[in-house]
Amino acid sequence: MTVPDRPTVPDHAPEPAASGPFDPPGVVWSRVSPRLATARLLSAGIAYGVLAVVGVVFLVLFGHWWPWILVGVAALLALWTVLVVPRQVRAIGYAERDDDLLIRKGIMFRTLVVVPYGRMQYVDVQAGPLARRLRIAQIQLHTASASTDATIDGLEPAEAERLRDRLASRGEARLAGL
Amino acid sequence: MSHERPTGGPAPRVPDDATAPAAPADVPAHDPAAPGGDALDWQRVHPVTPLVRGWTVIAVLLVVVGQQTVNGLPEGQNLLEGDRWWQILLGILVIGIIGLGYSALAWRMTSYAIDDETVHLRSGVLFRQQRRARLDRLQAVDVVQPLLARFFGLAELRLEVAGGGDSGVKLGFLKEADANRLRGELLALAAGLRVGPHGGAPQAPGPVGAPEPGADAAVPDAAGPGPAPTGPVAGPASGVLEAPEQPVTAVQPGRLIASLLRSGATVGLVLGILAIAAVVVGTREIGVLFTALPAVLGFGGYLFQRFSGEFGFRSAISPDGIRLRHGLLETRSQTIPPGRVQAVRLVQGPFWRGPDWWRVDVNVAGYGPTGDGSEAKSVLLPVGSRDEALAALWLVLPDLGTPDPRALLDEGLSGLDEGEHFVGTPRRARLLDLVSWRRNGYAVTDRALVLRSGRVFRSLVVVPHERTQSLGLEQGPLQRRFDVATFAVHSTPGPVAPKVWHLDAHDAARLLDAQAARAHAARAHQGPELWMRREDLPIDPTGVPAGHAPDAPDAPRPAGGDGGAP
Repeated sequence: MTVPDRPTVPDHAPEPAASGPFDPPGVVWSRVSPRLATARLLSAGIAYGVLAVVGVVFLVLFGHWWPWILVGVAALLALWTVLVVPRQVRAIGYAERDDDLLIRKGIMFRTLVVVPYGRMQYVDVQAGPLARRLRIAQIQLHTASASTDATIDGLEPAEAERLRDRLASRGEARLAGL
Repeated sequence: MSHERPTGGPAPRVPDDATAPAAPADVPAHDPAAPGGDALDWQRVHPVTPLVRGWTVIAVLLVVVGQQTVNGLPEGQNLLEGDRWWQILLGILVIGIIGLGYSALAWRMTSYAIDDETVHLRSGVLFRQQRRARLDRLQAVDVVQPLLARFFGLAELRLEVAGGGDSGVKLGFLKEADANRLRGELLALAAGLRVGPHGGAPQAPGPVGAPEPGADAAVPDAAGPGPAPTGPVAGPASGVLEAPEQPVTAVQPGRLIASLLRSGATVGLVLGILAIAAVVVGTREIGVLFTALPAVLGFGGYLFQRFSGEFGFRSAISPDGIRLRHGLLETRSQTIPPGRVQAVRLVQGPFWRGPDWWRVDVNVAGYGPTGDGSEAKSVLLPVGSRDEALAALWLVLPDLGTPDPRALLDEGLSGLDEGEHFVGTPRRARLLDLVSWRRNGYAVTDRALVLRSGRVFRSLVVVPHERTQSLGLEQGPLQRRFDVATFAVHSTPGPVAPKVWHLDAHDAARLLDAQAARAHAARAHQGPELWMRREDLPIDPTGVPAGHAPDAPDAPRPAGGDGGAP
């Protein structure tokens, strides 16, 4: 019936509360490179720049007042992005435990994902032109589930490679079927 | 040769294919694109395949022409007037012949082979494709018979592996008896049983090529790379080599119709018809009828699809796993080996509450996403009473790992609030989910995680611990305000998305941690991928043909897992 040596973890055991559900006790988070903020700000800046240019062109061509709305919205969004993105990047964390990898993200909408090494099907490492220029890379873990969102962005290339090899070898050691 | 396959057929069994791939089987395919030098015995599919496959093209053409004819052309001329009709006929004929020719070519270029560990499939005319599916990664085996194939007595064998998308191997079409026999052999191989002539077990017409040197299979002396050995045909054509099975549930057509009448689609259909009627009467415009017709037809089509897909549903259990048979026009016979079901969901819509009917869906890695159940692949029970639904759950997980499973499941199916077993949404967070906050909840047993949700559409999800892929925790700003969080188990693509909303944040965090540990422990103890390669599994030694097991052994454990228990 029941496996005797299964570690039973009581569900209602009084337990010293950590600093929130997204900080499991005893987990030391590794942070990602602050250059990720630069990368995200740059790409956002390009988008808002285009928006602003369109607004200005309309302003010059037609002289109406309403393109100001466009410019204003772009400016507000840009301000918000500048304020939020660095904090978002600081909120990204990952931790390698013995049997699984933890990834946490977000300030307003927080997520925490636990990916067991034995469940990994493959690991992707990606770096676009901007990311390469800034020397950061993205690593993505794939399990058999499409809903697993296990992406760590903004890793140092060396760290990304180390993590990739490490995850791959750990996954192999603990590989189970589906 | 450690195990004997429970089979009714005397040895050695050969195909009774007087008409089947006669010529092609004698002459193994030699196409230049194939990597030569392998000792595999390549087989062709049935020669009628192009006709069965190509007929859809002709049907589409006929429909298009027919539509044009009925609707008339813009100038009011009729396509079939004058001497046009023979041109059209000729066009259809030419296109049909071209299509048929291409299909025939595709047939010639398609061949398959089976060895002890792999299924090989070569296909493609211009772009050659060679696909190998490892049998130990087999997630499900289906025998599918579209309507036309049934007239010819043909069937397609679909092997599902967990590659996502179009990753399965389709061997089609084969003679029905051959398809069933091949399925039995593949399942035997996938289960870890070795099939060879020495053991008295049936021998495949083609599969037994040269086994891998390392494999412990007995090298069959009769089977070279040449044609299959011929011998006396013995036994009935079907049911040979099938593992014995025990029927579990059958859904009567009457109940299926009643369940569809009580579904949301029927309500939509009736409301749609009423609305159209009201508009037509109100505006006295018949044109509305035609513009609104597609929507109504959509509901109707959905209902018919459900009906034809789930008609004659029967489920059974065998040592090879769960067997499902269903279909009105296109019949499908599924086999899901033990431990391949990733998650189970029992659902009940608002109109099913009176008779207490439930529908059971599953996630199986090979079946992939099926949307809203319009495709009947991932259904374990289209409709059934509570007992039948729990029997379906039992097929997947015979031992729930709790002393009183019925009480727990009853609480999960129709209970409200936190009870003896379930932990739910705290009262302070009721504003986040006014309707069903009393239903949200989870319970943990030794074998599975049980998630409950939905007040109008009641739902109960069961995920065996060893089938957990990854775990997630989410919290939005409002949830943080109430100190609650949403817990999710990530399962393979399918209709079931295990999730429980608005748990107390600390409960959720503890559950996440404990569940990660439980999943890890369960994985370490789970049964082998080759589910028969165990010494202690009871196999009925008296080979009984399918469906006639008088006192079949205790149903095998489908969810590979009380495994490591000594």
